[in-house]
Amino acid sequence: MANDRVPTPPPLHDLPTAKEKRYDRQLRLWGASGQVALEEAHILLVNTGSGVTGIEALKNLVLPGVGQFSILDSAIVCEEDLGVNFFLEDESLGKFRAEETPLESFLQKDDNLKPFTLLLVGAPIDYASLRKIRDLALASQTPLFYTHCIGFFSHFSVQLPRAFPVVDTHPDPTATQDLRLLKPWSELQDFAKRMTDDLETMAQHDLGHVPYVCLLLHYIDKYRTQHGKLPESYKDKTAVRDMVRAEGKDEENFEEAYAAVLKSLNPPTIPSAVRDVLSAPETQSLTSVSSSFWLIANAIQRFVTKYSVLPLPGAVPDMKARSNDYITLQQIYKSKARADCAEVTASVRSLEKSTNRSAKLEIPVNEIENFCKNAAHIHLVRGRPLQLITPGEKPSFGDRAKALRSELTNPESLMGLYLAFLAFDDFTATHTPPVPAHPSSPTGVLVPGASDSALEADAAKLTSTAHTYLDALINESGNRLEDPEYSDLRAEIEKYCTEIARAGGAELHNMASLTGGLVSQEIIKVITGQYVGVDNVCLVEGVASRMGTLKV
Amino acid sequence: MQRRDRGTVQAVGAPLTVRVKNSRVLLIGAGGIGCELLKNLVCCGFGSGYIPPNGANGIPSPKHTPGITVIDLDTIDLSNLNRQFLFRKQHIKKPKALVAKETALPFNPAVNIDAQHASIFDPQYTVAFFRSFDIVFNALDNLAARRHVNRMCLAADVPLIESGTTGFNGQAQAIQKGVTECYDCNPKPVQKSFPICTIRSTPSQPIHCIVWAKSYLLPELFGTSEEEANDMVETEGDDQEEVKKLRAEAQALKKIRGLMGTSEFAKAVFDKVFYEDIERLKSMEEMWQTRKKPVSIQFDTIDKLSAAEGAALASQDQQSWTLVENLAVFCHSLATLTGRAQAGESSIDFDKDDKDTLDFVTSASNLRSHVFGVLLHSEWEVKQMAGNIIPAIATSNALTASLSVMLGFKVFRGMLAAESETATTNGHTMVMKPNNPPLGGSKFIFLNPRSTERIITTQNLARPNPACPVCSPVYAELHIPPVDADGNGMSTLQDLVGILIGNNDYAHFTISTEAGVIYDEDMTDNYSSPLAELGIEPGSSGFVTITDDDEDPRADLVLSVTAAPADGGLSIESHISYGKLPLKPVPAAPPTESGTAPDVKSAMNGIALLNREKRKRGAGDDGDDEVDAAAAKRAKAAPTASDAVVTIDDDGAILLDD
Ligand SMILES: [Zn+2]
Repeated sequence: MANDRVPTPPPLHDLPTAKEKRYDRQLRLWGASGQVALEEAHILLVNTGSGVTGIEALKNLVLPGVGQFSILDSAIVCEEDLGVNFFLEDESLGKFRAEETPLESFLQKDDNLKPFTLLLVGAPIDYASLRKIRDLALASQTPLFYTHCIGFFSHFSVQLPRAFPVVDTHPDPTATQDLRLLKPWSELQDFAKRMTDDLETMAQHDLGHVPYVCLLLHYIDKYRTQHGKLPESYKDKTAVRDMVRAEGKDEENFEEAYAAVLKSLNPPTIPSAVRDVLSAPETQSLTSVSSSFWLIANAIQRFVTKYSVLPLPGAVPDMKARSNDYITLQQIYKSKARADCAEVTASVRSLEKSTNRSAKLEIPVNEIENFCKNAAHIHLVRGRPLQLITPGEKPSFGDRAKALRSELTNPESLMGLYLAFLAFDDFTATHTPPVPAHPSSPTGVLVPGASDSALEADAAKLTSTAHTYLDALINESGNRLEDPEYSDLRAEIEKYCTEIARAGGAELHNMASLTGGLVSQEIIKVITGQYVGVDNVCLVEGVASRMGTLKV
Repeated sequence: MQRRDRGTVQAVGAPLTVRVKNSRVLLIGAGGIGCELLKNLVCCGFGSGYIPPNGANGIPSPKHTPGITVIDLDTIDLSNLNRQFLFRKQHIKKPKALVAKETALPFNPAVNIDAQHASIFDPQYTVAFFRSFDIVFNALDNLAARRHVNRMCLAADVPLIESGTTGFNGQAQAIQKGVTECYDCNPKPVQKSFPICTIRSTPSQPIHCIVWAKSYLLPELFGTSEEEANDMVETEGDDQEEVKKLRAEAQALKKIRGLMGTSEFAKAVFDKVFYEDIERLKSMEEMWQTRKKPVSIQFDTIDKLSAAEGAALASQDQQSWTLVENLAVFCHSLATLTGRAQAGESSIDFDKDDKDTLDFVTSASNLRSHVFGVLLHSEWEVKQMAGNIIPAIATSNALTASLSVMLGFKVFRGMLAAESETATTNGHTMVMKPNNPPLGGSKFIFLNPRSTERIITTQNLARPNPACPVCSPVYAELHIPPVDADGNGMSTLQDLVGILIGNNDYAHFTISTEAGVIYDEDMTDNYSSPLAELGIEPGSSGFVTITDDDEDPRADLVLSVTAAPADGGLSIESHISYGKLPLKPVPAAPPTESGTAPDVKSAMNGIALLNREKRKRGAGDDGDDEVDAAAAKRAKAAPTASDAVVTIDDDGAILLDD
């Protein structure tokens, strides 16, 4: 077996200057915590084919500083690989890329997969090994990526742990504004009153410097006095907007207020995705070793029960204002956010006590702060097992059958390509290469179209299997598919299968590079625990540069 | 076909593989996207040359010598290593183009790579140079170079694949004269600049103080250049009296440079800019009627930390420093920069990756922020604002580069179809068959990080904007005959005017070069000047524009200049005739200077494009490549991909039809 271990210095949490400089451009995307997670990661690449996709993905992970990687690979380097595998050079021709150790024997010891934070497996791979890896990853809750890249087509599936929470989702900055204009606290209310006290009599110049947040609070108040309620409906809000317009004296801040009415006059709500987290069984039943995420979620749940709102994020957008007024306004929001966070922190500390959490596991303050700041945008992925066919049998789509059946009538969907890749796996699982194998063939795996003479027969076999899978999905969903859609879909699947067979398992370097790019981007999201990623299947059709996702 | 080409052959078919191997490719830029592009091009066999096994049997021999030419003027910096994978630590400070070649060649030694460490603005890169390629790939990091290459490719009528990334965002598009929109068909936003009085007298935002420190204080103390910074300009709104006083103030500061190296230097600089100048500003009551007055500070009244403490603070760049701490860093960086200046560095300019200048700019801008009651920032934040840093990562570059090469395959497929068509019709003008869409059916491709359902989206390429000042003119060549041994035969402006009237049927027109108008009916001063004296000579990358002055004007004629063959006279390509020029479309609004300028916020998000002078490498130039914000916006509204199918035609070649 191969062990291309890259020695790493111990991860440095304070990121010294040279490293910071090297990673400057990316630290701006995932911060020091993301960088530390990358540096602590150890990735296993299982490559038995020509493997360019895996190598490309690995390159994109080594560059931003992934701590360690190992390649498990039993293929022998031959010239064919050189066209596509840039880590290898002409000199290594004829040498082993790795010591030959059958994948099977490596997988015999369950512990062998323990050191890895993430597994990346490239098709083709022998069926028993894939199943073993999938099961071990499920048991240890280790993220697993599985890829195909054949000709102009590629695919990857992601198997995440049962609960995979993301706190830093990096939402669109405009989506994160939470000004609480319909639910102001007294300090904010008082400040706005002070700023808008003599609005009617104010000199034009002063009028142009009242922060728009104060203007809006003023008009909301005025609306409430007139109508006896808050402006909550769309009609109410446009009424407030008209009030702003009526008084707006061509000043920039009035323009800002006018523009902000519809998006800022919203009662603070708790998104359903966040409610799901707060009511999740893991949040509800804490133990002494619950992850910090669930413990903080529980504390936030307490906060929500008490106040019916999430903790205030505390950020204030730029606006026209005198700088000292703006700073005061910022401070009002900041100190409210701090107070909310302090309350959550107090709950966290008491939960740590009541659950008998060890002092070593004490949750750092900045983690609680970060959670509070992002509370409205946290995201929980419920990882699903990688779908594996059983050779020669019809696949089952379980609780996703209905949803996937509806993909079949979506002209944008690449469901047909997914079925073709499943059929590819069935083909490799049910065929063995003639002995002796061509030195370039991955051990024990025969791909469709490997020889010109078998091309047509292989294409027909693939197509027939994929058609069976299509029927299986339709039957399982209990929802028939009529012509011409059904016939069109069968024809589309046949095209995919014919192309896959034609490629004879060969990777087009550029397509492997594209797929490797997508896979590594998703791996970075998983390792850093930031950004919302693909859940859980991604397909690429390179001819038209099309991609699509499925949840299987 | 060699075994190593198997992947390509199986995917795209033998005819296209041969065409790609026989291609001549120009790659401009060997940075983040450039490294990836070079690797993909090399591994897919572009420019590796096809040697037919049994002689050139029916396969047309290549028009030009196959190969890949890569041009980059940069050298390798440590901050490139997180994504520019062809470079290693030992390559720092070496030319990117040369190292990229050295590292990429072993991937496929059959490829003929020509690496040039030069600026694409250099005069040797003429229209004729561009025309010697089948395709050009842009992997640039700045707007000026992108616009230049766009124009050269239009003039040379060579397809261009343009691409860029910002963080997780990216895009790639194919451009061809008369077929698609060009890079300049949509106005590009330019970097925001500030009125000089805002920067020097009445700052109200952190960015004002940062620009002051980086574009005024640092150059006055350590620079030599007399050039005006391009982010600080005199505007009509600036009070002329005040501008004069500011000049005097700057002169006074220059004098303080004389104290450099003495123990009084830090105190002298500090008291000049944070006390004297502020006191003067404070005395101008009218300035502070609607603004908060600044509060001056004096060197002697602030606590001092030791030099070691200053140096230690400078490494804590994520936290905000207090007044005392900022002073300590200020003194520390001033001393370091003084040491460098005295060791012989004649001019120290701001570079966000030069820690000493960053320390100086951060501390000085924070001290000024303190004076004007503006929020202080950490060095990390200042760096982003001052350096206009664009986040860049390996994955987006890999994705964007592979999408670009995908477009390249399509363009070659289009060429292949056109070439075989031309061959069968005996050289007659090629008519596109309906199944041969322009540029092989290339698309505008976007990477959208926020949409996990559609990380990649495409939209159809737009038609050229008929009012685009860059792609709507007609481009042609002006041939200038060589001068004989006695210096005779020098072509003059009069000769040029003569052939325009005599050979090309022009009547009323204006001739201009990059330097401005050189001829119109009322301006004949240059009439007898040799063209060479007017900057019009073979081997320059400049253009000569002929503008029609008729009431219903024809399109502009833009001429690139080449040497005429030995026996040829001064001439414009024969097919150009006034009567055949299209009418001029409604004039387009030139790219605006302020209208679409992004604000500072978006600049910090990295979506701002910098308006840079030719060849001037500013400190903000090294992000990978910026995404065109307008196009990115369109992408949001873009319809998703159409229904592409792959079909196999009779001779076994795969057609990439959409
Ligand atoms: Zn244009």
